[in-house]
Amino acid sequence: MRLDISNRTLYRFDDVVRESQNEVRTCPTSDSRQHLIAYRLSLAPSCRALAFYDYWGTRVDAFGIREPHISMEIVAEAAVETSEAEPRPAPSPWDGLDEPGFRELHLEYLERTPHADWGDRVAEAGMEARVGDDLVATVVGVHDLVRERMKYETGSTHIGINVDKVLSDGHGVCQDFAHLSVSICRSLEIPARYVSGYLFTASDDTGDDVDGDVVDVETHAWFEAAIPGQGWMAMDPTNGHAVGPRHVKIGHGRDYDDVPPLRGSVSGEAGTEVETSVEIRRMDPSHQATVVQPPLTHADMEHQMFQSQQQQQ
Amino acid sequence: MTGGLFGDYDRGGFFDEAIGEDGAAREGQENLVSWFDALTADDLRYHSTLRDDLLLSRGITFTVYGESQGIERTWPMDLFPRVIASDEWAVLEQGLAQRVNALNRFLEDLYVGEQAILEDGVVPRWLVMSSAGFEREAFNVAVPNGARCLVSGIDIVRGGDGQFIVLEDNLRNPSGVSYVLENRATMARVLTGAFDEMAIRSVDHYGRSLVAALKHAAPPAAGDDPVVCVLTPGIYNSAYFEHAFLARQMGVELVEGRDLVVDDHVVAMRTTGGLRKVDVIYRRIDDHFLDPAVFDTGSTLGVPGLMAAVRAGTVTVSNAVGNGVADDKAVYPYVPAMIEYYLGEEAILPNATTYVLWDEDQRAAALDRADELVWKPVAESGGYGIVIGPSATDEELAGIRTTVEADPRGWIAQEVVQLSRVPSCVDGGLEGRHVDLRPFILTGESIEVLPGGLTRVAMRKGSLIVNSSQGGGSKDTWVLDDEPTGATG
Repeated sequence: MRLDISNRTLYRFDDVVRESQNEVRTCPTSDSRQHLIAYRLSLAPSCRALAFYDYWGTRVDAFGIREPHISMEIVAEAAVETSEAEPRPAPSPWDGLDEPGFRELHLEYLERTPHADWGDRVAEAGMEARVGDDLVATVVGVHDLVRERMKYETGSTHIGINVDKVLSDGHGVCQDFAHLSVSICRSLEIPARYVSGYLFTASDDTGDDVDGDVVDVETHAWFEAAIPGQGWMAMDPTNGHAVGPRHVKIGHGRDYDDVPPLRGSVSGEAGTEVETSVEIRRMDPSHQATVVQPPLTHADMEHQMFQSQQQQQ
Repeated sequence: MTGGLFGDYDRGGFFDEAIGEDGAAREGQENLVSWFDALTADDLRYHSTLRDDLLLSRGITFTVYGESQGIERTWPMDLFPRVIASDEWAVLEQGLAQRVNALNRFLEDLYVGEQAILEDGVVPRWLVMSSAGFEREAFNVAVPNGARCLVSGIDIVRGGDGQFIVLEDNLRNPSGVSYVLENRATMARVLTGAFDEMAIRSVDHYGRSLVAALKHAAPPAAGDDPVVCVLTPGIYNSAYFEHAFLARQMGVELVEGRDLVVDDHVVAMRTTGGLRKVDVIYRRIDDHFLDPAVFDTGSTLGVPGLMAAVRAGTVTVSNAVGNGVADDKAVYPYVPAMIEYYLGEEAILPNATTYVLWDEDQRAAALDRADELVWKPVAESGGYGIVIGPSATDEELAGIRTTVEADPRGWIAQEVVQLSRVPSCVDGGLEGRHVDLRPFILTGESIEVLPGGLTRVAMRKGSLIVNSSQGGGSKDTWVLDDEPTGATG
């Protein structure tokens, strides 16, 4: 499915800001399930962004505005070709977690992090979610448990809330669902990571498809768990839909802090009002054939990164 | 020796840096020892007063944290120097250069290389991944010439058998070199006679060597005469004196974060003549305060946008960001293996015997002998958090047990090294006091070791704690030159 995304963020300051320095992570990744056709970042006041790929493989655009401004607009436009959900991995015995090197390679996705710092309550949920000796069924079990215990409620939480509290409160938004799922997996010693992205849907809560071809959404989050010998298994606990053609992944990390759509610093003490809108447009299937390009290879990406760095020297 | 100040000097069964087992001065130190031996207690007091007045008038101070008052203190320097023979120094120099070379290679491998040493299982991947000093924000950020440890301070001790041992590496912001230079300058004025006929290698070129190394690390586009500055957290930092001192020695600007601006990924400093582009920043601010846009967003010490500029390659930050993984004390036991892995050489300077506490067997064995070992938190420096088993209270030892069991990755245990001693001025006489040594190593066009380094001395009788932050003193360190010229440093 070809999806065109326009992610616009407008900052309005109540006082003149002399300088701001920012990083955006809004560029969809290219992987086995999707590939990026085009990406463009427009900034106002205008300035040059430095593009690079961070430790987790996510494209970052770093830029600074060093002129007095009272607003800042960031528009990230992307065109992505997505494919069907990957088949569910085959059942996988628990002792695979102890395979040589598996644990060591995934160590970062097993540890506690600020947004995935679980306690007894989450660990108990993990025991409950475990399905026999099968890791795959257990990850599905984690997903099901989160869906069962949690109610989707916008504006009910904010980034930074403890996962045990998320579970006991029983409500939250997609980031909370993802952090909770990641934490439960890790409490069972299954490596899990937080995914930041977009979902082409009429509602994050239901995950239902859109009537028509254009929709306004917010950024979305889900999670992936590592299955020995079979790679990463993606699940979307917020709405229970398979991570398929309507999901567009930006990147992943240990938790939200590794893939925030925007972070930075602003000089002075100006108050800020943030307005975000994400528009996703499903493109006419007949249009696809003319624009699809071969997937970017890692070497291409490095080349791009190199070029973007060169331009700054 | 006569019946002078050395008349009833007692080596105390330790390795003494000045007096050999036969009770006579070590080779090359005869004049020094006899000069001191001839002094009276009054002479010693006179020289001490002169020294204190000099240090005070020159404003040579240091700061101790955690005391409610009088945190700014005059620098304590003992009058009796620590002397290193030229052949001993040659070995140290080689060993230090070798070690720094391997540590630079290790950091390059981790941040911009293939992580080959992890792939090959020489250093456990998990140990690196779990290190607080492994800075993912520095991943894929190139450093010109791979000079990541541009300034290293490696702590060396000498045990009972006289063998030099590496106790720990300081690869982030090692401090103390200003005192090396100030000690020498002060000694030259106070003890003019003691320098006579001793050829001592000079240290006063350090500022020139440092600025040359920094310029060598400039981005290629910076041209022939790169602009260097020293970035300090400000006057409240304990090493502010040193930051100002080094800027003066190098003839470069001393700046705070607010003096630097990043525009279009290029760093410039505000000067009276307007903005001036900066090519190399010798920063004395910790990684996490460097750039509030990337790290601690509450930090006002740093420079917003600096990390992106470094990544863009328009400016070099020294020491490199992320060096903490290589001076993590739980990684330290692997340094000899790194030397072998990257250089194909055996380590010239051995490590102290160290127990890694994440290993259950080693942990159990070490905890059984808790009162015999030295306990160190892996990410601290400056002696903070260290517990010395033999002098610890039962309460402290119980505390160690609890902390180590809760966080075995966070601690190491080392055998106590019976630090060597040097005659030191105590109550108008001379008594042996324990010392260590922090040489300073520069990675410039080649690796250069400043002859000598900072000798720290535990002035309390019997104490092994030499850190100035923990009440230790210092000594001028003389590396003897083979070819006597009579020159003084």
